[in-house]
Amino acid sequence: MKELYINARGMQCPGPIMQLHKTLKDAEPDTEVVIEVTDSGFKKDVQAWCKKTKNELVSLNEEDGVIIAKIKKKS
Amino acid sequence: MNKKILIIGGVAAGTKAASKVKRDFPDSQVTIITKGEHISYAGCGLPYFLGKVIKEKKELVVRTPEEFKNEQGIDVLVKHEAVKVLPEEKKVIVKNLETGEEKEFEYDKLVLATGADPFIPPIKGVDLENIFTLRTVTDALKIRKLLDEGKVKKAVIVGAGLIGLETAENLTHRGVKVSVIELLDQILPPFDREIALLAQKHLNEKGVDIHTSEKVTSFVKNENSKEIIVKTDKGEIPADLVIMSVGVRPNIKLAKDMGLKIGKTGAIKVNEFMETSMPDIYAVGDCAESKNVINNEPAWIPLGSTANKAGRTTGLNLMGTNKNSFKGVLGTSIVKLFDLNLAKTGLSEKDAAKYGFDIETVIVPAFDKAHYFPGNKLIITKLIADKKDHRVLGAQIIGEGVVDKPIDIIATAIHFGAKVEDLTQLDLAYAPPFSMAVASTITAAHVMLNKLEGKVKTVKAHEILDKLNDENVQVIDIREEPEFIIRSIPGSINIPQTELLKRAASLGLDRNKETILVCKVGKRAYMTYCTLKYLGFDKVSILEGGITAYPFELE
Repeated sequence: MKELYINARGMQCPGPIMQLHKTLKDAEPDTEVVIEVTDSGFKKDVQAWCKKTKNELVSLNEEDGVIIAKIKKKS
Repeated sequence: MNKKILIIGGVAAGTKAASKVKRDFPDSQVTIITKGEHISYAGCGLPYFLGKVIKEKKELVVRTPEEFKNEQGIDVLVKHEAVKVLPEEKKVIVKNLETGEEKEFEYDKLVLATGADPFIPPIKGVDLENIFTLRTVTDALKIRKLLDEGKVKKAVIVGAGLIGLETAENLTHRGVKVSVIELLDQILPPFDREIALLAQKHLNEKGVDIHTSEKVTSFVKNENSKEIIVKTDKGEIPADLVIMSVGVRPNIKLAKDMGLKIGKTGAIKVNEFMETSMPDIYAVGDCAESKNVINNEPAWIPLGSTANKAGRTTGLNLMGTNKNSFKGVLGTSIVKLFDLNLAKTGLSEKDAAKYGFDIETVIVPAFDKAHYFPGNKLIITKLIADKKDHRVLGAQIIGEGVVDKPIDIIATAIHFGAKVEDLTQLDLAYAPPFSMAVASTITAAHVMLNKLEGKVKTVKAHEILDKLNDENVQVIDIREEPEFIIRSIPGSINIPQTELLKRAASLGLDRNKETILVCKVGKRAYMTYCTLKYLGFDKVSILEGGITAYPFELE
């Protein structure tokens, strides 16, 4: 299984969610993407986005103000 | 010399006045008389004592009567009630609440610091067991005991003011299911409605059940379950604990009985030197009226910060040597509710309207630190200014980020009579961990100037609600599709910014329709607005504060 990484630190909204959207669009099913974000709104956004798009939010953590999310593309 | 200073009431204002006068005039004879068991306690900390943020009672007591006596030479009589003042004879009749014995105290100067008492509405059953107010250490101890014994699973708080909601948070942290019942149509009455609604959303997310526009009609005890049934005009809620938090009223009984003038706010009328209508009698703290610095109208905003400042002024003035004046208040206040911080200063939009100001308002989301610095959080600033002279009249700030700094900046600016233009010029501290390069306050002032100068036409969130069903209006969300999917205003359509500009240039956008542009915070909408204006679209406006500040239902 492939794992991709996106550094979206420093990006303002809608940067991070757009990056995630594009990356997942081009990825094969079941690919896991780890994204690091400093935009505080991303935490709520990624939860809602995964729910609506049916991609799986594997984990969501915050370390020293950096939000780290792992998302698995739906199969 | 050796003047007798008698102070009635010993929480914040009374003890502050006592300490100040004794410090400056060590030969004065200072006595504090207080009904309660505790003096000089941190009343504002009581909700946190329930939540165990403050572990023990002793942490709340700032100073004890013994400390006042031994360290400062101030006599404190607790559990003593001043029952009558005889101004002509300069005497006070004081009752010892333990023995019932009455005694006369003479004074040269008298200070009334009788505070404010919780207002208890005359609701049937309000005197049932396990219905409390939260004003004194004694109240807090009783409630804390019930919580510690695990007897409280669900609680009802009547009144959604600052103390009521702080209590709701603290009880939730203790694992209690909390319902809050508010008579008015919004929580946090000093704040404007759209700000209060954002706070209400957050409280709901945290599991607090909020009922607005609902009136408690009676309390009934269920003899089987021992629960209190809180009956309202809309239903009933069972509770193991009820806290009445519908506000406080100035304690003016003594003042009224002796014929002191009472102000139109219902508190004791005083001048800027804290002198009442009778010679040698002062009033200070929650029992005394103050003045609104903005328009000099009488104001009564009982807060510990004001009580301490006015207490110091009183202490300085008691000997009449150098007159120190207390200018008044702006109504600055702040509260933390779970992860959310809210603060206000000056006039709210509804206050300003009440006082007849012709105002302009803006709502501007921004970050509290550099947007790229880890840990930055969003805050939303609402600014209220006078249309005529651009004077800043008030502000409200809400968000998970730092709100105390910007509200204090604006409070300071208002105190010195600043205009919106002055705010844009402030040299504020900047480095990425502390602020954006353009501080949130300055951004808000820029948006306000754009609006005052007619550079942008905006629509407020509540105005858009009516327009969503109007076929002559198109509400266009110009964010990217993935953002729109996450959450959007029901009834809005999604045409991303670049696509919209393309359509506008190729006449694929109806220019006769009223168009409202929506984005996340208002920035992209403003940029698009400028381009559309340039292309000759004149029926365009933007949603103020974007989706971020939109307090109504999203889908």
